[in-house]
Amino acid sequence: MIAAYVARRLALAGVMLFGLVCLTFVIANVAPSDPAALAAGPDAGRSQIEQARRDYGLDKPLHEQFLRYVGDLAQGEFGRSVATGRSVGRDLARYFPATLELCLVAMSIGLVVGIPLGMLSALFKDRWLDHVTRIFAVSGIALPPFWFGLLLQLGFATWLGWLPTSGRLGVATEPPEPITGMLLLDSLLRGDAALFWESAGYIILPALVLSLPCLASILRVNRSEMVECLRADYITAARAHGTVPWRLVAVHALKNAMLPTLAIIGLRWGWMMSSTVLVETVFDWPGTGLYAVSSAIAGDFKPVMGVTLIVGLNFMLANLVVDLLYGVLDPRLRDA
Amino acid sequence: MNTTRRGILAGAALLAPWQAMGFEREGGRKVLVFSGNQAVPVLDPHVRYDWSTRMIQQGVYDALLKYVGDPPRIVPWLAERYEASADGLTYTFHLAANATFHNGDAVDAEAVRFSFERGLKLNAGIAWMLKDFLKPEKIVAVDARTVRFTLERPFAPFISYVPWWYIVNPKQVLANVSEGDYGRKWLTENAAGSGPFKLRRFDGNSLIHMDTHAAYWKGWPMGEANRLAGAIFRIVREAAPRRAGLQRREIDVITNMSPDDMEQLAKLPGIRNEDHAGFTTFGIKFNCQTGPTADVNLRKAIAHAMDYDALIAIHNGGARLMDSPFPPGMESHISVPGIPRKDLDKAKQYLARSRFPNGDIELEYVHVQGLEDPRRIGLALLDSLRPLNIRLNIVGQPWTTMVARGSKAETAPNMTSVYVTPVGTDPDTVAYQYHRESWGLYYGMSHYENPEVWRMIGEARGMVDKPARLAMYAEIQRRIVADQPEIFGMIPNRTWAMRDYVKGFQFSPIRFTGEVDLYPMWIEA
Repeated sequence: MIAAYVARRLALAGVMLFGLVCLTFVIANVAPSDPAALAAGPDAGRSQIEQARRDYGLDKPLHEQFLRYVGDLAQGEFGRSVATGRSVGRDLARYFPATLELCLVAMSIGLVVGIPLGMLSALFKDRWLDHVTRIFAVSGIALPPFWFGLLLQLGFATWLGWLPTSGRLGVATEPPEPITGMLLLDSLLRGDAALFWESAGYIILPALVLSLPCLASILRVNRSEMVECLRADYITAARAHGTVPWRLVAVHALKNAMLPTLAIIGLRWGWMMSSTVLVETVFDWPGTGLYAVSSAIAGDFKPVMGVTLIVGLNFMLANLVVDLLYGVLDPRLRDA
Repeated sequence: MNTTRRGILAGAALLAPWQAMGFEREGGRKVLVFSGNQAVPVLDPHVRYDWSTRMIQQGVYDALLKYVGDPPRIVPWLAERYEASADGLTYTFHLAANATFHNGDAVDAEAVRFSFERGLKLNAGIAWMLKDFLKPEKIVAVDARTVRFTLERPFAPFISYVPWWYIVNPKQVLANVSEGDYGRKWLTENAAGSGPFKLRRFDGNSLIHMDTHAAYWKGWPMGEANRLAGAIFRIVREAAPRRAGLQRREIDVITNMSPDDMEQLAKLPGIRNEDHAGFTTFGIKFNCQTGPTADVNLRKAIAHAMDYDALIAIHNGGARLMDSPFPPGMESHISVPGIPRKDLDKAKQYLARSRFPNGDIELEYVHVQGLEDPRRIGLALLDSLRPLNIRLNIVGQPWTTMVARGSKAETAPNMTSVYVTPVGTDPDTVAYQYHRESWGLYYGMSHYENPEVWRMIGEARGMVDKPARLAMYAEIQRRIVADQPEIFGMIPNRTWAMRDYVKGFQFSPIRFTGEVDLYPMWIEA
């Protein structure tokens, strides 16, 4: 049953992905720029531009280019960047682990801080703790990550000097040969404590900035659901039954409050990967977000399309996982 | 307890292993960290150049000749001398005997021949400089240390472009050819040069680490004792973290800062600014073919209405006005008499003679999205045009969009603001921007038309008689100004902020905007 459901969802995701491919291809090609001129360089003459056009197959009709692109995608090829001539697939493989690591750390912060704070806020509803966390939540969603990132850099890097300003490692530190490409994990796998702490120092600020909107959303949703759940009859019954308070909150209420929270986590995970575009630019975090921005500024659309597909795929997978987890948390949904 | 800021910082330094305490070191030597906002997508010297790319290329490669100093001079490098034939067709270069590539191979005439052939055949990046005048088969390695170039026809700027043709090691390149690509894929991220630095780590999007080549055939100007261990180019896209990095001594030299930032940085202890008159011109190109600006009188009216003082004020004084299409310092530059300055009466007279005697038109001014100075210059122009009853629509567009629009006269905006850095010191480099052949390229967005000027430009590039050639360029400058294909704007200063322990900085305006020559630099501390 579950297998059929997953297969159906995956098929749907495939259709949506194809839609996304069409959309990004159209957007990339209606933009009034000439990728051949970009490939040929700023002072290139006409013959050079025309040669670059032939080299990259840009002289072919648009439908032919599209079919070729889709064909390449089907074989796991994302095409070549016109700015560097490099394979976009190879670039994505190089940059994606950095983005994934950043998102995982940011999401961990969101979960570890957001869920307990939401619970506490609900338990102390309308008391000072609740007010403080609500203000925090509202500002967390409202603060532009770009500005917040610069502010943190100013405070923690320039004034206090506690943390580095940007990058992923110190300039003189040789990054180790990647195992997963995620530095924190790789340093743990290698047992390299110095590298772990160094990369931890570099990831704190961007992860904090990236986590804030997610943390704030989780907090708000979790709080309101907990407030509802704590009012519910089954909690009153459990309380009358003599269930210890921590169990009442952490098991009975939280489990029910987690359903909508889970939905927001899935949604936020999708958003997070697209928000890396801003955060990675501010912190020069060498991930797919920065790759997309640099390419977009240069008018190099294959990488932008590649990143868009990755972000879209990530959204779809996150939704799928959330749907499946719904079934785990709520037995009523399993057969639905 | 009395907690002081210094106390907090001292405590923080103990707690935080990331606290920067000074320049990077490696063994007993120091590492120079340079930061700018632009990536290095392709290192291949025959495929791409821009300021950041060329800075690294100049580090790992050598050319036959090299540009140094201010005003820029061409000095012998891999070639210890050269001769040109009287007819301007043949150039013979004699190579230094001791030059070697990083792997120990000799830099010989065959390497030079191969490199020029590769540059021409790839037909990318630098190829445009020579491809119409030099055929690969006309480059001959006469003996191991002599190479001769025979041009198709005289081309006076030839020598001015030679410093940008870096010499690659043919053996390394040919060993890394994939699918007949002339080693292009491999050289994108690897180097095969003889330059003062060896490539150690290349991530063009974030960081490039080079080691000094201890056995560099040319030696080290600061002496072996002061030679750096290496240099790191770190790409930091936002100005604020770049500035913070400099203040924290994580970075030793930064560039691409706003005039306001530079003013503030100059006040900080331990930091000094380098501020030099550059070669990059800023012009507002009119569309001379279609729309209202096809009318020369309207163009002249606008040029006389422009508030030129604003151009300098926007740069906090760090710029000088153009007095010719050529930047000062370029051979044959003259200060063209009567080049427009703000004169509202004249502006109104020209307007009266135009097809729009009462103004009442709206013009589009396009600048590169995200660039603050051209946007502010647009605002100054908007104010300047009010007395003529001309409205201005200021539009920021991505560079690629702007260039694509400018590639055809039908789609080119009425006015487009463009910075242009001449690639060589020869006047042809700038003059050719006004030739018919440059129509549609980013510096030819004005689609300027004057067949007589085109003829003169074409003739001047082949002239061997120097005084006659300079006289021709003087006339070309006067005629271009008379036709007003653009508002000749200003030349902004080039600026870098650096820690005061950085020594050996040598400015040369021929280098691109943020580019520095890392070879003579070192750290004294």
